[in-house]
Amino acid sequence: MLQNAYPDQIAGDFYTENFAKKAAEGSLILNLGPQHPSTHGVLRVVVELDGEYILRAEPVLGYLHRMHEKMAEVKTAAQFIPNMGRVDYGQALGWNWAFVGAVEKLGGIEVPERAEYVRVITSELNRIASHLLWWGAYLLDLGAFTPIMYAFDDREKILDILQIPTGSRLTYSYFRIGGVASDLNEDCVRRIREFIPWMRSRLPMYKDLVSDNIILRKRIEGIGVIEPDVCQRYGATGPVARGSGIACDLRKTEDYSVFRKLDFIAPTSELKDARGRYDVRMIEMEQSLNIIEQCLDMMPEGEVLVKGAPKPSWKAPKGESYFAVEGARGKIGVHLVSDGGKNLYRCKLRAPGYCNLSLFAEVSQGTILADAVAILGSLDLIIPEIDR
Amino acid sequence: MDALLKGLPLTYLAACDYRKTGKNWQAILPASSLVAAAQRLFKAGYFLEDIGALDCVEGYVVTYHFAPFETAGRVAIRAIAPHAKPVLPSIAHVFHGAEWHERETRDFHGVVFEGNPNLVPLLMDPDMADCFPLRKDEKARARMRDILEIGEVRFCAPGFDLMTPEAPAEAAAKPAGDAATA
Repeated sequence: MLQNAYPDQIAGDFYTENFAKKAAEGSLILNLGPQHPSTHGVLRVVVELDGEYILRAEPVLGYLHRMHEKMAEVKTAAQFIPNMGRVDYGQALGWNWAFVGAVEKLGGIEVPERAEYVRVITSELNRIASHLLWWGAYLLDLGAFTPIMYAFDDREKILDILQIPTGSRLTYSYFRIGGVASDLNEDCVRRIREFIPWMRSRLPMYKDLVSDNIILRKRIEGIGVIEPDVCQRYGATGPVARGSGIACDLRKTEDYSVFRKLDFIAPTSELKDARGRYDVRMIEMEQSLNIIEQCLDMMPEGEVLVKGAPKPSWKAPKGESYFAVEGARGKIGVHLVSDGGKNLYRCKLRAPGYCNLSLFAEVSQGTILADAVAILGSLDLIIPEIDR
Repeated sequence: MDALLKGLPLTYLAACDYRKTGKNWQAILPASSLVAAAQRLFKAGYFLEDIGALDCVEGYVVTYHFAPFETAGRVAIRAIAPHAKPVLPSIAHVFHGAEWHERETRDFHGVVFEGNPNLVPLLMDPDMADCFPLRKDEKARARMRDILEIGEVRFCAPGFDLMTPEAPAEAAAKPAGDAATA
């Protein structure tokens, strides 16, 4: 049994008690969340405070844990795809892609070229939607209410577009082993073409309205500095690592799908603070628009699903595979092992947000509580992905 | 990778086809070499992608995936924790992010990492901490050599036959042969 460090006070649960064991004399233990609006969903952070300063912090996970990895072991590979739409509600297509990519590697399945372009277009649209969600919610955390209304206006247009081929608005299960479920129709392509100039006209306005705003700058500049070695020790990827000057975009380094044919940059920032991560995401939205525009021009005619694509009862051959894609939050990795049976033998999901959040305990030390909220937000956390 | 792991006690080292399986190298290490291997990979600029266990006939095969940031590539380092006493040393003091990955592996498979600074349940409810959902029934377990990629063997310790049907000839052990004894 754990000892109660404060016998005269309410002890708190297992995690609070465990955390309080190392508490310093006279400090205050505070639970942020799991139902706090600034923690986005149900993240809980136990912090030890000296006045307003954080001495220690420990994220407590598991409130949204659904054991996707077990579910993968009791379904066939094709039946597991809907789960991938539910791991990360911000960019569900990134997870769709990582999983079907790993299965395709395992089964040696080729994807038609048009399907590759459709995958790039839809997942980049999804990336913009995810960044907009982050942008609006982050600024809401920092006390600005207006931006989320603008962000959701734009995001709504993307959801309307993605609804056409995928049939859903949030939890997409659109990719198939060997391609995608349906082609982009004329209406969809026209809407995407209309969306690109619209979004391009909005980004400068966001810069004027928000990015250069002095209140925002005071809240994020110099806050939450993450050195590259911290990224390495904790395995941070995506905009968090790129905001610290590490050029680690898988679309550039791994050379998967058709990205090598496309002209775009993977922005990095040397600022290393919350501002750096903010800037990286804002530039990424522009770059995603460039990618989508090029893909629409280059996309060949043809099938979007390979002939003889696996049926739901398809058995993956024996072996293992690892496939990773660049998601909106970083490296999404899926490690599959199959023994040739009906279901997968093991499916290990690498969530980028999980690794990105793990550095919070170190980075938040010594900052004031209000800045900790600015740091948490700058990591772009999606809790279902972290808890899986 | 031969050079990077040179001098460490190894059990098995094989080059793999990156296009086919997503990793360039895999190595099976005795538990005692894990921390040293992690330190070398850290110095070489690798970061820890994830840690996941696999319940096989031979024990819990714990796989550590490492990757470099700015180039493609992936190394799988494996260690086998026996079913009877699944204990491995923690690498959380080398890669601090490993703390959570190790806690997760303890939650799912019950592998205990000695030296982890805070080995309490992470994703599982503390009241259900000992149910280990990803452990398999004995008859459902597969053998390592049936499900893992064998790869192009560069070194195999004498007597280690879990990956290849028959123990390889000494000749196969040439490139890293001296590594085993060092």
